[in-house]
Amino acid sequence: MEQAKELLVNMGPQHPSTHGVLRLMVKLDGETVTWCEPDIGYLHRCFEKLSEFKTYPQVIPFTDRTDYLAAITNELCFVEGTEKLFGDAIVVPERAQYIRVLLAEFQRICSHLLALGAMAMDIGAITPFLYAWRDREKMYSLFERITGGRMLYNYLRIGGVRNDLPAGILGTPTDGEDKADQTIWGFINYFDSYVWPQWEALVTDNRIFQWRTQDVGKLSAANAIAYGASGAVLRGSGVKFDLRKNLPNAIYDRFEFDIPVGKAGGDCFDRWIVRAEEMRQSSRIVKQALAWLAENPGETMGKVPRILKPPKGEIYHRIEGARGEVSCYIVSDGGTNPYKVKWRSPCFVHLQLMPLICPGQKIADVIAILGSIDIVLGEVDR
Amino acid sequence: MDFLNEKFPDAQLSDQLNGDTEILVDTKEYEKVVRACYEAGYTFCSVLSAIDWKDRLTLVTSLCRIVPEEVNTRTIHVKVDLPRSGGRVWSISNLYPGANWHERETYDMYGIRFEGHPNHRRILLPDNWQGGFPLLKDFVDHRPKRPRLVRHRYAE
Repeated sequence: MEQAKELLVNMGPQHPSTHGVLRLMVKLDGETVTWCEPDIGYLHRCFEKLSEFKTYPQVIPFTDRTDYLAAITNELCFVEGTEKLFGDAIVVPERAQYIRVLLAEFQRICSHLLALGAMAMDIGAITPFLYAWRDREKMYSLFERITGGRMLYNYLRIGGVRNDLPAGILGTPTDGEDKADQTIWGFINYFDSYVWPQWEALVTDNRIFQWRTQDVGKLSAANAIAYGASGAVLRGSGVKFDLRKNLPNAIYDRFEFDIPVGKAGGDCFDRWIVRAEEMRQSSRIVKQALAWLAENPGETMGKVPRILKPPKGEIYHRIEGARGEVSCYIVSDGGTNPYKVKWRSPCFVHLQLMPLICPGQKIADVIAILGSIDIVLGEVDR
Repeated sequence: MDFLNEKFPDAQLSDQLNGDTEILVDTKEYEKVVRACYEAGYTFCSVLSAIDWKDRLTLVTSLCRIVPEEVNTRTIHVKVDLPRSGGRVWSISNLYPGANWHERETYDMYGIRFEGHPNHRRILLPDNWQGGFPLLKDFVDHRPKRPRLVRHRYAE
């Protein structure tokens, strides 16, 4: 009998479903994947080497560009890590802490919207992607008013934030859909009353979408931990672990929110549900932060020396980013530049899951899996 | 971390600024220490990287615990001092499959070799990269300089 040959398929480097410049080598037996290997490095921009030649404040804009869809959380990681290097010398004002949390959670909604939209589009539903774009546009115009930038903000500072929130951006709890792109309350109300129910009705409850994602790309909890997965991928596998609860940075311990976990054994649909539910939890946090910020005006920048020279030391700071555990290892030799910055990006680690999950799946499901682990190639290659 | 103190009395333990534990061990003991951490519940390899101190390299392996109820969970940083060129340690990717790519990246950037690694290749740089290990402090970029773009004489 003639032996069927395996077929090697190259997806990428510029494949529309790969969320960036990624080459995915897939071996096929018929339609079934037998082997998969990602090839990365196309977007390597020497972030770690460059930051050794820049002062601490100058590194902040670089961190934006690693994960350009969730820039605030990256800034937060580096800025807080540097503040910890100073020990007690830098005290961040409370209002600045609240602004940081507000923006980080707002960013999380924004990033998850794109993640869900892109995953739906990869599977073949184009409409949700355009709806995601519509809503992110509103969020970006709010970000633009607060920080001056739409995607890459350079807004957080070591010791606080660059400027206070502009007048009137908070809005009032009664703001409705018509103010969605003018006030944060307006957007959050619009999100709760319109966007989230729409996503649920349009995609989550969609029978075809469920067929495409349920029981596809299963990842057990033990494998998720062993492979270093974090964020929605880890929680989708049923592990209730969120660094916002388990290692609270900033002032996350003051907020009330729940951690959603997947219940069906970590398939693509679980990861989808976790992300969708996380957006709602983020909107809860944003509301609590808004209530506090409306009543407590004050300073947004602590007392910081003119030239930042942290004492000698090393710090490893982990925070929960939009895609998982973002953390940085900063080594200071007492000078103005960091001696070393190591950036731990969740997407880099998550991409390792592809050779584990993909074998045995159909070729069309590889796209669904890639969408569900939600990678940003800028962060993978740094 | 008491279990490390008991098992490895020679190793130097210290605390990082945020409460993490650092343990500096000998190259030969590296795998044993990592295994001890793994057996003590530190089953999550957060990151693996190196620091170039100009006279030596320090390999840092950060291991964490995933316990849903634990608040303020802390990390153990296992450190090994290695020579600047030709450093070799045992790979830990059999215990932590997630460390696989981190080890490849550390090799890519610092030239540390991981024995027993299943796929010991460069990862971010191209496979045929000849320029050395970029994150070493004395790295010099020997590639030919690109000509600067000059404005054409007749453009004005």
